[in-house]
Amino acid sequence: MDVIIEQYFDVSIWTDNFDAIIEGFWQTIQLSIIGGVLALTWGLVLALLRQLPGRAMAPVRGVTIAYIDAFRGIPMLLVLLLVSGSLGAFASEGTIPDSIGIPRWFGKPDPFWYGIIALTITYGAYMAEVYRAGIEAVPSGQMEAARSLGMNHRQAMSRVIVPQAVRKVIPPLLNDFIALMKDTSLVSVIGFAEVVQVGRDVQSETFNSSALTLGAIFFLIFTIPLARLVDYLIARQQRRVGRAGAGGPAEPAPAGAAGTGQTGGPV
Amino acid sequence: MAEFMIKLEEVHKSFGELHVLRGIELDIAKGEVACVLGPSGSGKSTLLRCINLLEPPDSGRILLEGTEITAGRGKNPYGVDYVRRRVGMVFQQFNLFPHKSAIANVSLAQRTVLGRGEGEARTKAAGLLKRVGLADKLDEYPDRLSGGQQQRVAIARALAMDPHVMLFDEVTSALDPELIKEVLDVMRELADEGMTMIVVTHEMGFARDVGDRVVFMDEGVIVEEGPAKQVIDSPSEERTKRFLGLVLEH
Repeated sequence: MDVIIEQYFDVSIWTDNFDAIIEGFWQTIQLSIIGGVLALTWGLVLALLRQLPGRAMAPVRGVTIAYIDAFRGIPMLLVLLLVSGSLGAFASEGTIPDSIGIPRWFGKPDPFWYGIIALTITYGAYMAEVYRAGIEAVPSGQMEAARSLGMNHRQAMSRVIVPQAVRKVIPPLLNDFIALMKDTSLVSVIGFAEVVQVGRDVQSETFNSSALTLGAIFFLIFTIPLARLVDYLIARQQRRVGRAGAGGPAEPAPAGAAGTGQTGGPV
Repeated sequence: MAEFMIKLEEVHKSFGELHVLRGIELDIAKGEVACVLGPSGSGKSTLLRCINLLEPPDSGRILLEGTEITAGRGKNPYGVDYVRRRVGMVFQQFNLFPHKSAIANVSLAQRTVLGRGEGEARTKAAGLLKRVGLADKLDEYPDRLSGGQQQRVAIARALAMDPHVMLFDEVTSALDPELIKEVLDVMRELADEGMTMIVVTHEMGFARDVGDRVVFMDEGVIVEEGPAKQVIDSPSEERTKRFLGLVLEH
């Protein structure tokens, strides 16, 4: 038992390396927040591109769907290696400027930004699918009502559909954010000193895993409350739906009457 | 004859194999209230949805105030936005925006589509909500309103755009019986003020009293049309008689 405690929970390792581990976790937090915000934004852009109406927009929809399918199906580690390896190579060949190929924006090193790019590319694709589910869950009558008032597609999306869709998908988006936060650890592979990398360094110096355990504890301090928040939000949504169902015809009933079920026109 | 507000010529609409409208000819005069009756699946709702181009017809012409609105899409200078700013529509399921209060529901399109300022839009919205009897519900959200109240907000929302024509698609069919009258009363007032209205309804009393004209549809065609009282009290077509017999019996 003592062996186990010493291997994973050695307090002297924690106190000796506390500053380095905290600094590593601070980098993890920065990766998570910047990557999360960019992925949330990029995902919404992708979802909206995928919903553009009309035959003229079919190529845009096709490219967007191909992008989403591709990056949902590729491991993020592979995307990260592609980004970090190729951008630097392009820069050294002079194909693209160094400021893009070896990004060191806002004083952060280039592996940080390669990580941000890979997180955005990959999680943007995941989140696009979540937004799409939310957009499709908004009853078609909402788009028809907005369009019948003279709003164009863009106005109807931005003022009527997306605000409702986003409310519906906050819990699954938070779930994706939790996954994103954990995947920031992959950026250690390209030599960025986030919390896992710091823990590994201590582990290889001391043959003791306690620094990694402390990193795990830091993760749990964030991920467990987030998971509880997701549960709470889902429960609250379900209570609301239940109330709307009991309180009257607030939610559109399944289309039964002539005409109301036939949608898909260029509304 | 008064000038035409809406004129339909040989309008056809199919959904896949289903031929829903089979050559509709219809003239609606300015200020006229036309009630469209017929069994479910007869094409009544599709007819309304064609008029505001929610479902563009497959063939035939629709004229709005003398302007053809069904001319080739893309080339048509009077696109769907032109049509929808002039044609208001109220739906069976209300379709209020659930994330917005009553007054915000009525203000939103005024601001985004007509470019009215916030103050102007709210003043207009408050006036209209007062007119439909909801002066004390301005800031309520749809899930706190009864079906009848929601439907009156939906009418106010359509009126806020100053439409030239109002389309009503079975607007009382989803309501509990005791809430139907408050909605019909609003529509009756609107008719008295001279609004041009096309009303798809199962309310025979409303059609008879308020309608200038009744149009009876079945299987995608207009079977019979004429002055409201005449069609309802003494229909000449067998199909109309059978339908009215079924609805008026109980």
